[in-house]
Amino acid sequence: MNKNYIILTALMIVLAGGLLIVPERQKYQQIDPDELLWEIIQPTRYVSTDKVAQLIIEGDPSLELVDVRPAADYEKFSLPKSINIPLDSLLQESYQDYLGIDGMKVLFFSNDDIKADQAWVLAKRLGYDNIYVMKGGLNCWIRTVIQPKKPSTDSPSTEFALYDFRKGAQMYFTGAKTETSGKSSNKKAVKIQRKKKKTAASGGC
Amino acid sequence: MKKHKIKNYPHYINPYFGGLLLGILIIITVYITGRGLGASGAVKSAVVTSVDVVSSSHAEESAFYSKFISDDHSPMYNWLVFESFGIFIGGLLSGAIFGRIKKFRVEHSPKITSKTRLIGAAVGGILFGFGSQFGRGCTSGAALSGTATFSFGGMIVMFGIFGTGYAVAYFFRKLWI
Amino acid sequence: MGPLIPNGILTGNWDFVIALLLGIAFGFVLEASGFSSSRNLAGVFYGYNFVVLRVFFTAVIVAMVGLLYFDYFGWLEMDKIFILPTYLTPMITGSVIMGFGFIIGGFCPGTSYTAIAIGKLDALVFTGGLFLGIFLFSEAFPLFQDFYYSGDMGSPTITDMLGISAQWIAFAFVVIALAAFWITWVIEKRVRKNITPYKF
Repeated sequence: MNKNYIILTALMIVLAGGLLIVPERQKYQQIDPDELLWEIIQPTRYVSTDKVAQLIIEGDPSLELVDVRPAADYEKFSLPKSINIPLDSLLQESYQDYLGIDGMKVLFFSNDDIKADQAWVLAKRLGYDNIYVMKGGLNCWIRTVIQPKKPSTDSPSTEFALYDFRKGAQMYFTGAKTETSGKSSNKKAVKIQRKKKKTAASGGC
Repeated sequence: MKKHKIKNYPHYINPYFGGLLLGILIIITVYITGRGLGASGAVKSAVVTSVDVVSSSHAEESAFYSKFISDDHSPMYNWLVFESFGIFIGGLLSGAIFGRIKKFRVEHSPKITSKTRLIGAAVGGILFGFGSQFGRGCTSGAALSGTATFSFGGMIVMFGIFGTGYAVAYFFRKLWI
Repeated sequence: MGPLIPNGILTGNWDFVIALLLGIAFGFVLEASGFSSSRNLAGVFYGYNFVVLRVFFTAVIVAMVGLLYFDYFGWLEMDKIFILPTYLTPMITGSVIMGFGFIIGGFCPGTSYTAIAIGKLDALVFTGGLFLGIFLFSEAFPLFQDFYYSGDMGSPTITDMLGISAQWIAFAFVVIALAAFWITWVIEKRVRKNITPYKF
């Protein structure tokens, strides 16, 4: 009887010790390549600058703008109410809280599409949904919203309607000069939503 | 051990084997449900249900009861209630197999009366019920399952219960030895 | 893979059947190990019966090591399982109260259910006490609502708090538990010499 216990004691120690020896397992959820490809070719993951302008003006509370450019660029100019997650620090844990909030749409943007697209793929591989990319990036934003071109006189009326909207948006985003200067302080005051720690059903014991 | 074998010693399984089974059961439970076992939650559901039946408005106004009341279903329609009912059936099964089910009786140390034991049980039950709400669970939910799933709070509760038990055991020794 | 229900592999309707089956297994193990006797349970505090310590700690170390292996082999996502939240001060207070309840009442909730099943009236009274205790708590809840929610630390694991990896924690628990098994075996042998055997 005693001998059995000695064997069991040794077995338990070996089993527990085994955990210490085995190499650390890599733990991230791999999205299936097929699935990732399918997601990438969906045009719906792109949002046009006009649509973004409209959402900002309407003050859509579920929109979260994420600037993935370096912090220095973000300081100089960015979209109102955006937060800055430089691409190279996307994987840092402190930034993860901004992604994957229930009911929030995350919109990545950079100067062009490329970095935002990379951030999108990374976030997808991290397992986040409801993520989008601003088509054309800030360059396109400047071209269309900040400095809209007047369409030629023979353009269809939809072009003019769009132009009118862009003019209005231009007024909104640049219009009053005082607002522009107030933008940076406005940015700081943005109430940023962070993800609450996941908890399963409560009422325990 | 053989030398100390007591007559009438009931047939219990080897405690380490019991522990092994219980450990495997916790793994299975966590594997299936993503959470551990529990027991006191069922009594809480019973309390909430009773209060809700007796005075529904009182239950809805209370900051505590209202947490557990929903319009969809009764608070008794709860995982832990079914599980605790299972505990009872499991005890019945084991008791039947090992021949421990007998007529109603009070088990107590020969030095105290049944009455003392019952008073002790009632007081202990009240304290346990009270404490389990602050502790977010009892020995099975918080201490056992909590610690096994590496919860810091679970470990606190485990050390708290057993530490207190040892610290005050001396003062209550008359109840047991 | 697992956990099956949170990952949607096993859906809704089976919940309560599974709960019942797991409960039955739990109750069976508790009763079969002798947890349906308050004198067995209290023995751990007086050195004449360490069955609680043996079953409890064997279960904890088996579950800890087992869960880590499940995690290692990718069968179970440890970050998806429920981690009991920590409210430091209320939990310490609560566990101290429960410690008193344990030594005075001789049961804990789960074991009292199994003891009722085999006909122990003291367990029935204990469960009545539990009901009353929770009822009193609920009625008096506004008095200590602030305290109840104080010391909220989220749901930290032991690793989060102590900075030691889960593997080392499991290993430490195993070593401590095994040492305790051997020590208590010696203690029990000595104490039992001087104790009158008890009937069940």
